[in-house]
Amino acid sequence: MPTPKWLVVARNEYRITTSRIRSIRPYFPILIFGLLAVYVAFIAPAVVSLFIDEFLAFIITLAAVPMVQILLFMIFVYFIILPVTQTLKEIETGQLEIFLAAPIKPSDVLLGEFLGHMPLYAIAIAVITGLFTAILTPLGLDIVQMAIIITIFVVTLLSAYWIGTVIAAILRTRLGKTARGKDIGRALALIIALPMVAIMYAIMGGGLPEALVDPGTSGMVKAILGLLPSSWGAEIFVGFASNPGNIGAVGFETLTRFGGLIAFFVAVLWLGAKAADRAYSLETISFVASKVKPDGAFYKTIRYFGGRGSFGTLLVSTFKDYSRRLENLSKIFYMMGLLAVINIFLIEPSDPEGALMMTQFILPILSVFVVGEVTLRGKEALFIFKKTPRGVGRLVKARLLHGWLVVVPIAAAVTAVSGILSPQTTLTSLLTTTGFAVLFVAANVAFVLGLALLNPAFSEKSGNYFLNLMIAMQALPFGLFLLPMIAFRRIFDLGLYEVLFYVTLPSSWLLGILFLYLGKRRLNKIE
Amino acid sequence: MKVVIRTDKLSKYYGKGGEIKAVDELDLEVYEGETFGLLGPNGAGKTTTVRLLNCIIKPTRGTATVNGFDILKEETEAKRVTGLLAESPGLYEKLSAREFLEFMASLYDVPKDILAERIDDLLKLFGLHERRDYLLEGYSRGMKQKILIASALIHDPPILFLDEPTSMLDPRAALMVKDLIKKLADTAGKTIFICSHILPIVEELCDRIGIINQGRLIALGTIDEIIAQTNTKTLEEAFIAITGGVEEKELLAWRELKGADA
Repeated sequence: MPTPKWLVVARNEYRITTSRIRSIRPYFPILIFGLLAVYVAFIAPAVVSLFIDEFLAFIITLAAVPMVQILLFMIFVYFIILPVTQTLKEIETGQLEIFLAAPIKPSDVLLGEFLGHMPLYAIAIAVITGLFTAILTPLGLDIVQMAIIITIFVVTLLSAYWIGTVIAAILRTRLGKTARGKDIGRALALIIALPMVAIMYAIMGGGLPEALVDPGTSGMVKAILGLLPSSWGAEIFVGFASNPGNIGAVGFETLTRFGGLIAFFVAVLWLGAKAADRAYSLETISFVASKVKPDGAFYKTIRYFGGRGSFGTLLVSTFKDYSRRLENLSKIFYMMGLLAVINIFLIEPSDPEGALMMTQFILPILSVFVVGEVTLRGKEALFIFKKTPRGVGRLVKARLLHGWLVVVPIAAAVTAVSGILSPQTTLTSLLTTTGFAVLFVAANVAFVLGLALLNPAFSEKSGNYFLNLMIAMQALPFGLFLLPMIAFRRIFDLGLYEVLFYVTLPSSWLLGILFLYLGKRRLNKIE
Repeated sequence: MKVVIRTDKLSKYYGKGGEIKAVDELDLEVYEGETFGLLGPNGAGKTTTVRLLNCIIKPTRGTATVNGFDILKEETEAKRVTGLLAESPGLYEKLSAREFLEFMASLYDVPKDILAERIDDLLKLFGLHERRDYLLEGYSRGMKQKILIASALIHDPPILFLDEPTSMLDPRAALMVKDLIKKLADTAGKTIFICSHILPIVEELCDRIGIINQGRLIALGTIDEIIAQTNTKTLEEAFIAITGGVEEKELLAWRELKGADA
């Protein structure tokens, strides 16, 4: 009897997912089971014991249900987002042709993909469920209550993962057939996580747990989130925690919520299988190709910055190639969003230094996103410049100018807005702070461009790209900003602005120029 | 002779009101054991035709039968009797050659008792047996092409669709694939449907050819018949005569200064 097709696909997906550990693949499940057993038996209870007293006090407050609802909602959404993001990052429809040409039903492909990646998601489900059950264990829940709690987590998260798998498959089909669609996919992959990041920061530093103690806020959150299946388990969780060993006390709630959750799971499985035909198709959806308009005022201004001649054209071309990729714009949008979220939830309005410091942590990452992608289009794209007379120097100059024109206005705007929102800011401090941010980030751009050329990464998956990102994230804020700030202010008793202008700025420019020189030399030698 | 591929006004239209006619009312018959070549310029509708006949996409109008199976009503059966080397298929780069062929064989229900031997034989035939356990990501384009041809053969189908089978191969590998196609047709009695731009290969391998342009089949017959129909001497000349080309005087026109008298 032939192997069921969904099993063939699942086995294949598992092989691909575990390709990097193929040498230990036979022992991998045993290893994971062992580690999870240790986690559930020892690590999770030990972690929980650190905050069990706070939890016991918290579980009887009004904030308990909405807080657990929010946590479950976030985990639920992450389980939807993860497969979607993974798919959107590198949409590949080539393999679709293999499936569509073979005698296999789309629902088998969908189920196979779901099960093939399941082991990794099962690990995450086990870790999350293990932590939550470890929280409840000291309360003395009976075996039935514990079994229901475990089932709730497994069913809730599996539903989310299934929904994510179906959405990912549909998006792959819808977006994967055109370059524009793939670009939209990569842009979405980054942006869709931003609302979750905002909620996380709101919990961490935005006073959300405190706000939920208020009956009005708590009731509103409960009512809104109560409509979502992710919340149904939260009510049972808090109900059991408040009535350990007494399932009858929350019998009706348990029956309706648990029953609803199981019905929801069955319904999404059925709907997903029905949607499979749409999820796997090579039918062309649109023949509309992107068409450009003649250069407007923006590109004419950029050309002006480049000196109108051939270098101006080169600069405009660099700008166009960068800004016509939605993926690049989404990175800028994401960083701006992150800065806004941090300023709203983590920085006190009366702390302008805090805002300035936070900006210095975020802007180097933005610099990597903007100029660090100089080599990402591959060697061939660099060889175009290497082939032309004075090409390498022109590439470096164009990318530097491009980086400045993108990053510097953002840095100036963000720093100025943060300053204006702070009640203690004077005009002098506003100008000084903004001036510093502009000069510092301009040096960052030079440094990051030099670094990207010195340690070229030819794809975003390359370890070099990750290393460059880490260096920019660590070396610039810590090495040039935080450490001098601590050392010089303590040892030499210098003021904030004296350290910034006498130490941080000169050293960042020195480093920027040095790396740019070294990067240019390396580019000349790239083969 | 038994007809194994028959299309009946097979059409695929795209866009609003179907203004883009990728394939337009294609009537075609391909006979058992025949090697048939479909030629045409880029965007003519060759790949769409192959996708329609392999049930990858659905026709807007008309239908077709493959080995007697209707592509609309008996999709699974039609897929089972064909092997496809697609124009730009996706490989699973994180699988080894052996793993990939195992996967493809499982999709087509190749019996387990013959699977290992068949994979070994095919890998030996294509000179990749020594590299069978290497990940495909490390293969050259030519080697990947060989694996894809092997995967199209893995279930030993009676009909093979080969879209540009030799385009990425070095001359030695291309010669081997040409010999293989000849053997498959002559000795194993396979029906082979080839799409190619490389006219010498089509001339050498195909019993009959069809020329498609802008979705319509505009010529059909043996190579000699088509050359005779167009009053030309070679297949290349016939192809240009039928599909159009660039006039010789236009070739260097871009060098002339506009507005200059000279």
